[in-house]
Amino acid sequence: MMFGSADALVQLSIKSRDPYVAAAVHELATGITKLELEALICGTRRTALAIARWEHTPASVLTALAGVHDEAIELRLDKNPGTSSSVLSGLYEEARSKDKAGLTKLIAQHLNSGTEVLRRIALHANDSECLLALSKNPAANAKVLAELSERASGSDIAVAIHKNIAQNASASAELLTRIFDASEVYTQAAILGHANCPAWLIAKAAASEEVLMMRVLARNRRVSKESLQRYAACEDAGVRAGVAANALTPVALFRHLIKDKCELVRREVASRIDLSEEHIEALSRDDDIWVRQRIARSPTTSLDVLYRLAVDAVADVRRAVARNSMSTVHLLNMLAEDTSAWVRSGVAYQVNASQRILMKLADDKDVDVLSGVANNPNTPQSILKALVGSSDTDVRRGVILNKSATRNTLLPLLEDPYYLHRVLLVHNPHLQAQDKWSLRDDPDFQVRFSVYRWAANICLKMPDTFLVTK
Amino acid sequence: MSKILVIAEHRRNDLRPVSLELIGAANGLKKSADDQVVVAVIGSQADAFVPALSVNGVDELVVVKGPSADFDPDVFEASVSALIAAHNPSVVLLPHSVDSLGYASSLASKAGYGFATDVYIVEYQGDELVATRGGYNQKVNVEVDFPGKSTVVLTIRPSVFKPLDGARSPAVSHMDAPSVQSRSQNKDYVEVGGGNDIDITTVDFIMSIGRGIGEETNVEQFRELADEAGATLCCSRPIADAGWLPKSRQVGQSGKVVGSCKLYVAMGISGSIQHMAGMKHVPTIIAVNTDPGASIFTIAKYGIVADIFDIEEELKAQLAA
Repeated sequence: MMFGSADALVQLSIKSRDPYVAAAVHELATGITKLELEALICGTRRTALAIARWEHTPASVLTALAGVHDEAIELRLDKNPGTSSSVLSGLYEEARSKDKAGLTKLIAQHLNSGTEVLRRIALHANDSECLLALSKNPAANAKVLAELSERASGSDIAVAIHKNIAQNASASAELLTRIFDASEVYTQAAILGHANCPAWLIAKAAASEEVLMMRVLARNRRVSKESLQRYAACEDAGVRAGVAANALTPVALFRHLIKDKCELVRREVASRIDLSEEHIEALSRDDDIWVRQRIARSPTTSLDVLYRLAVDAVADVRRAVARNSMSTVHLLNMLAEDTSAWVRSGVAYQVNASQRILMKLADDKDVDVLSGVANNPNTPQSILKALVGSSDTDVRRGVILNKSATRNTLLPLLEDPYYLHRVLLVHNPHLQAQDKWSLRDDPDFQVRFSVYRWAANICLKMPDTFLVTK
Repeated sequence: MSKILVIAEHRRNDLRPVSLELIGAANGLKKSADDQVVVAVIGSQADAFVPALSVNGVDELVVVKGPSADFDPDVFEASVSALIAAHNPSVVLLPHSVDSLGYASSLASKAGYGFATDVYIVEYQGDELVATRGGYNQKVNVEVDFPGKSTVVLTIRPSVFKPLDGARSPAVSHMDAPSVQSRSQNKDYVEVGGGNDIDITTVDFIMSIGRGIGEETNVEQFRELADEAGATLCCSRPIADAGWLPKSRQVGQSGKVVGSCKLYVAMGISGSIQHMAGMKHVPTIIAVNTDPGASIFTIAKYGIVADIFDIEEELKAQLAA
């Protein structure tokens, strides 16, 4: 069988009588054929409900389903992240006319909701749940949030609304300033951590002794060095950890922080990439395994220290060396012999691992090690071909996810028993069109949908050149 | 008087905890004080398990001397068949485990016993034994009854029934396993899925990370947090596929069902159908996600629309305070 156009693909879809296939190509169809596809999608209410809820349903199908005027379908459309702004706008009108607060709330929190709809919700919705949902929505712009704040002022939900606005990325500096003084300490701390918080407010708050505020400010790059110095001596470990994590913390402060009594602070120091050799050396001998692990993972740690950590008593530390991008082939070769499978797995996933190391690890019995070998782009095709025959699903999936796996290696996996693997293969760039098309009658609806969606996307991008042969 | 037969399970010289759970389940099935719980343990070293099985709720302990210390489906099937013939129990309880899957269905089918697998509720409703198991991928509870069956074989889901407290000295008897032609041979012991790792199907507090984690280097801070909070760190499929956590920590359709979990904290997990298949039964789910429309919130008891790193930082500070 052969077809070479969008029309031919749509006709095939209609012939299949499969609602998921119909949904996959819906965007290509026009006129009467579109109606035929919609009849298939809405063939039973159960199917229509499932497709309205499904996260992969194309936006054009969701738009078509909005025209069914079925409350259960509308509820699913309101929840579906793919529903378009225009459909949500229509659904809002319907929800408002019928006074459906539940649906309005879903629209208020939807990331695709348009500014005008959100503004109307801010001004007219009476349900507190709707207003609270709106206050969290980053799709609401600064103006909408300001109107919402004004409307909520003095009401029972003002505190909660302002708390949400303080964490909303769209909140403006002006609005944040306005709500700061009237807010409780949690909201004030959130405002100080907001990217739009004005510098003068941060400077003013830096004098505060409130722990919650100090924790936020200690991590803030806009806080002064003097304040960081003060925070470094704070009793609260969370505040000192913030100083340790702050990129602007003066090197002089590290001398104290690497010896901090709380491991939380030392771990933050160990995560830094601007440590001196002396600091790294000291931290690499820390009693806390998470501190040593972070040093073992750091790209600035010297090879000498890495070799020492590669024989650490704790497997997680050795694993961190195996995952370090600076680890040499010699070091990896050593770790490939480790007694812990989790360490060997770290080597197997390493992009620096040589073919020789990977060939050795291919004889391992552990699923994490074999999955790593299967995933690693340096693994020779002969090994990948052998792993295709693994009885372990995870190992076979590793081959499918391998960016270097060639078509010949992947072909046997088209008959893999796990549907997810077949779905992944439809998206694999190394397989040819006829390979993918061979899955069009797959027993699993998700695979069939993926094949037809892939074909539909090609038709949309290159309407005149698409050709699939049997 | 009726008898309930429990088949204890052991592996590599260790009695598996589910054996004691089965004794708890069997005692819950007693209809009168005269009813007896008979526990059988099979293997060449089965005597070694007598002290561990001498617990409250056991009326009789049968040590079945088998040809090997390891599990053999043919030997177990023949032994349990002989035990049923000798004790005529109304109910036979086996662990729902890879061992039982090797012979339970064959045992029940050949003798025409009632049979249900992966049972997590079992009770008498009047005189009728009713076993409850999951159906449609754990979406519904299926109640199974066994009309006309004088013996019913049930495989019981581990970590569901509580063992009974206290020791006891039950009557101990011995028998030899029937001689059978074994069709399998024990060659090597291979622990599946990160043998040295924790079994996530048995833990009750899980913190799980998903794509929201962003980069591999961020995994460690959540491992620390889970460690400090006393949780077991698990993950969704993309995290295990990337090799950031072992496959044995993967929850969901491709991974494991966290059967014993009571508290599940989902960090940066959107909630694909495949992931939720492994954890949606958990009584308390706390979800943290920046997207208020994330599917995970549809099953969460508590939802937090927030950045997982903010929550992680705050929790750590609270734990350190």
